[in-house]
Amino acid sequence: MSLKLNNLGRRIDDRWILRHLDLEIQNGECLALVGASGCGKSTTLRIIAGLDQADEGSISIDGIDVTSTAAVDRKVGMVFQSYALFPHLSVAANLELGLKVRGVAPSERQQRVRQILQLVQLEERASQKPAQLSGGQRQRVALARALLRDPMVYLLDEPMSNLDAQLREELRPELRRLVLRDQKPVVYVTHDQHEAMAIADRIAVLRDGQIEQVANPIELYKHPASLYVAEFIGRPQINVLPPEQGVIKAIRPEALKLQAGGIACELLHREWLGASQIWQLKSHLGPLRMLVGSDQTVPESIQVSWAPEQEHRFNARSGKRLAA
Amino acid sequence: MLLLLVPAAILLALVFVAPMLHYVWLSAHANSVLTGLVPIPNQGANWIRLVSDQRFWQDAGQTLRFTVVSVSLEVLLALAIALLLDQRWRGRGAARALTLIPWALPTTVMALGWRWIFNTPYGPLNQTASLLGVAPLNILSNPAITWMATVLADVWKTTPFAALILLAGLQTIPTDLYEALRLEGASQRTCFLRITLPLLKPYIALALLFRLAQAFGVFDLVQVMTGGGPASSTESLALYAYINAMRFLDFGYSATVMIGSFILLLLLCLISWSFLIRLQHRTGRV
Repeated sequence: MSLKLNNLGRRIDDRWILRHLDLEIQNGECLALVGASGCGKSTTLRIIAGLDQADEGSISIDGIDVTSTAAVDRKVGMVFQSYALFPHLSVAANLELGLKVRGVAPSERQQRVRQILQLVQLEERASQKPAQLSGGQRQRVALARALLRDPMVYLLDEPMSNLDAQLREELRPELRRLVLRDQKPVVYVTHDQHEAMAIADRIAVLRDGQIEQVANPIELYKHPASLYVAEFIGRPQINVLPPEQGVIKAIRPEALKLQAGGIACELLHREWLGASQIWQLKSHLGPLRMLVGSDQTVPESIQVSWAPEQEHRFNARSGKRLAA
Repeated sequence: MLLLLVPAAILLALVFVAPMLHYVWLSAHANSVLTGLVPIPNQGANWIRLVSDQRFWQDAGQTLRFTVVSVSLEVLLALAIALLLDQRWRGRGAARALTLIPWALPTTVMALGWRWIFNTPYGPLNQTASLLGVAPLNILSNPAITWMATVLADVWKTTPFAALILLAGLQTIPTDLYEALRLEGASQRTCFLRITLPLLKPYIALALLFRLAQAFGVFDLVQVMTGGGPASSTESLALYAYINAMRFLDFGYSATVMIGSFILLLLLCLISWSFLIRLQHRTGRV
């Protein structure tokens, strides 16, 4: 039982904005779709929802082909980036409207709205308008509406992007708990690799409408399938060395060590992160980023090296990972 | 900061407040050919005359009828046009530009045009009628129907204005809202009733109030198209005030008619406003 995308493709005029997309998301699994803006992640979500049509490929939910099924019959619970709350309706009315459209009896409607408001802890806000709520509360109303849909699939389109950084961190575990409550597939679109790592079981990295790699966060970080993924995932960003004989080497900032006899560097800038610090270095290999402990003092002369097994090696032309 | 409003306030005072106060003052005086155009205080005689002036009340009724019918038709038509122009289709840009043409035309020009269209027996309407073998229609000389012709001309001219306001309103509604409701299985009709109409309400109110005030003061259209006739059947309050001043040279009473119709317009706006407010309160429920 799962959500399955087979060879999905979407074309605008003659340009494919999405192509050869194969994904399978299990029940109770949260898959993050990440990528730069315009990579096709939101389009994918809209195609799954039925708000947009694929030009090739198919979608199935629980083994049933829904490629040409109307949006309403796919039963998806969607959280929009803007939350898409009805500004003229109270919180309770926002939630009730969907139920009414689906023909649920008034008494049952009120009961379900009450239950869901309890679940997202917004009972006191029931009679307020969306404009009177904070960003986090609005997001919870949008989520509650998706939950009320009793969906087969959850689709979340950048649900955190309108919130400030601290709130995002606070809400993440709560959001994950709520959407995975009824063990349905969850597709989570975000441009923030950090958020994807924190919330998802697996991450699909999209680039120009195609999947670069699908893997769990640790695998993605430790064995990026391409230079693009290596650069996209992980902050501070991975160091990419100049190509040598058709091979590009990349080293994570935390893999760089101070060692006598290593590459001579000059310290350009220090950034304090609290528990650690980032050194921006200049070397004959170009600029390097190094993650060091917060207690580390700057030595007289900086020489750095790394263990050979910490090197990621990529084909300079295709950007694909080379076997170790 | 309030200091910055002073130039605008002075301008408004000169253009609106001063003439209005002058009219109020004038309405308390006899000032006509009979007084040699010298204002003489007449202890509210103008106002007593106004209250019992049958022509004034008849014109008030006619003006109200004209206003209510044409503004209702305009807003309904404008809503349909705005909805159409908001959809994506080929030639939408051209259609948007074309829609505005009647609004851009000077009222006098288009009023002359309509007068010619309804001309008996040579106007295009009657030419067409005679081709079809129908007897000529005396539209502009039949007191029972001439007012409808003025309504038609007004609707033709000012619907684009209301449509423009409503189109601007439609464009403020995010498409997300429709998609969210579509995912629940809502029909086009439900989306219109549950999202479009409630969110468009402030814009409808704006268009209504603008048009109400304009239509109630109608002058040039009627003056050019029918001259208030036949038998004063299309005479508006503004036209009556004009006739009092320019034909009867009774400036005191003309001012009284003006202020009187201003009060009626104020009442009309207040009534519509309270109605709209009450409508607004009904939202927020499912």
